[in-house]
Amino acid sequence: MFQNPEIALEALPGFDELEWQDLHPHFKRRLRAQFAIVILIVAVAFAIPTFVPGVPLIVVVALWSAFMIVATALMIWPAITVPRRGYVLRDKDIIFRSGVIWRSVTAIPFNRIQHVETSSDPLDRKFELATLQLFTAGGSSGDLRIDGLDKETAEQLRTFILKKVGASIERV
Amino acid sequence: MSASEPGTWQRTSPFAILFFIGKILRLIAKNAWQSLAPLFAFLVAYQGDLVNKAILGSVVFALVITTAAVLSYWFFRFQLLDDSILIRQGVIKKKQLDIKFERIQGVNTRQNIVYRYLGLVTIAFDTAGSAGSEGNLPAVTREFADSLRARISTTSGIGESVVTADAPVADTLMHLDWRDMLRIGLADRRALLLFAFIGPLFERFADNAETAAMEYVEMAASYGLQIDINNGLWIGISVALLLVVILVLTSIAAAFLRFHDFHLYLDGRTLRSTGGLLTRHEHSMDLGKIQTLRLQQGIMQRWLGHYRMTARQAMSGGRQRKQKVFDIPVVTAALADQLRARLLAPDGGGLTQDPTSPLFASVSPFYMRSRILYGGLFPAMACCIAFWPELGAISLVFLIWLPVVIALAFRSWRRAGYLHDDNELIRRSGLLGYRTVGLLFRKIQRISITQSRYQRRKDLASLRIYMASGSVRIPYIEHAKARQLRDYILYKVESSQQAWH
Repeated sequence: MFQNPEIALEALPGFDELEWQDLHPHFKRRLRAQFAIVILIVAVAFAIPTFVPGVPLIVVVALWSAFMIVATALMIWPAITVPRRGYVLRDKDIIFRSGVIWRSVTAIPFNRIQHVETSSDPLDRKFELATLQLFTAGGSSGDLRIDGLDKETAEQLRTFILKKVGASIERV
Repeated sequence: MSASEPGTWQRTSPFAILFFIGKILRLIAKNAWQSLAPLFAFLVAYQGDLVNKAILGSVVFALVITTAAVLSYWFFRFQLLDDSILIRQGVIKKKQLDIKFERIQGVNTRQNIVYRYLGLVTIAFDTAGSAGSEGNLPAVTREFADSLRARISTTSGIGESVVTADAPVADTLMHLDWRDMLRIGLADRRALLLFAFIGPLFERFADNAETAAMEYVEMAASYGLQIDINNGLWIGISVALLLVVILVLTSIAAAFLRFHDFHLYLDGRTLRSTGGLLTRHEHSMDLGKIQTLRLQQGIMQRWLGHYRMTARQAMSGGRQRKQKVFDIPVVTAALADQLRARLLAPDGGGLTQDPTSPLFASVSPFYMRSRILYGGLFPAMACCIAFWPELGAISLVFLIWLPVVIALAFRSWRRAGYLHDDNELIRRSGLLGYRTVGLLFRKIQRISITQSRYQRRKDLASLRIYMASGSVRIPYIEHAKARQLRDYILYKVESSQQAWH
């Protein structure tokens, strides 16, 4: 029988007292490794004007000091951004938060998920991590992307969500 | 041709050749150079005079296209199954299309002037999730299209659709006459845009016209005629006016071509529109597929006091994401509210989408701050400082930019607003015109709350609601309100037993 009891707005479950699940601790190191590769490539590119005769010293110094500032910032960044990311799995939806300056909290109900994808690139595999992507209708590439999950956790999440998605479809 | 006996391959009417000729011509127009290159080579190699060459060229061209169209027709076959339609096509590269009825969002038909005499239509299937290659069935009878439409809406199990091909109990919702065509034509933004685009070109042309007129005046003077010097200017102005008139007439003609004798019906749970002067278009859309209803008003439309209403369906995936839009080109605010009550029933439709309604709640005035800072103050200051060494105090002229941005930000804040009840939400926005977007809570796909540093300090947040047809943002509302709305929306979505599509 169809029931539709009235529910007071205050009684709706909010999610401010939720316990956010952190990402895997390896994720910081994985991000640093990724940035380090980029920094290395840029350093090689910068080395060329340094050793070419005739380039004024001031240019070289300016170039390298800018490089050092950006490189340091990139190395510190994972320690700032990773603790700000987190997810909560609830009975009917999944919530993900991210962002340092612009903080956002995104919620996807399970009965709107079209498909789920886990992936891991070579760096992820080195640190035993995986990425979980959730897709809803009308969205573009990956409507919710959770990087830096433990490999097993990602698989567990995937099966759990798929089961929930299936259940919600059967009910309809 | 009958819609019966599933499981046999059939061809469409031979008049489909016309459709294929049109298709090939369009293809050639798109890739003109590659397609015409061999023909051109042949013409150059041919020995003879130019007229003969041209005649021979066009004969060969017509022959090639006709042959290609006949072949395309011959190899185009389709089969109706219980739950899908198979289309096999392609002369050299064979292609089979399998369109499941349940994925079909709408059956649209086109009828050009020849087909209209023959009672034939070209069907275009609107499918969800297909990227680009949607199916077409050229030159089938109208009865076939109707029976197919009825069959699809029963197979896809959409509610209590009571469509019967024999006795259409369609309910006419509205009809547009020639005055509405004038309105559509006048409000066509493309005419304005084109005018803005050729405006600068036109100025030079006017200059030339003026000098020509001056010469004419001098010449006339030497012959002893008296002509006012101002005539040159008048000629320029009249040429400008003539251009505007031509543009407006063109867009009015375009409105007649597309929307002449526009009818809007509600056929059970299917919304249908017909219209068009030479080629008749018939669109259909299931009410359940509507994701957002949009009411738009440009400057011209504001002046004329009417709106354009569109119903949007889920976007199809793929790289070239296509918006599927059901267009109602002219409505008044009152009619729009009546229509939305019919279209969104029984889940909603109780709210007004009229942007001038006093019911809309405004967003926080802090909304203007970032616009003024990043769009006005910072660029203006940067320009002042950058040009100071060269221009000195004159560079303060750049500060004029600031009041302009402030005025625009104020206007866009005044127009931003939202309105909701237990089932639906309407967001209002606009700068020169107005735009309101209405949606049902239960069809929302995902939702996110974003806060910048400044918003955190002021306890404000922006709410973004993602629908299958795109997203809607409600900027700068109280954080508590945003959270309350989000929690309520999640509750609505998660407890909804109905399909969102």
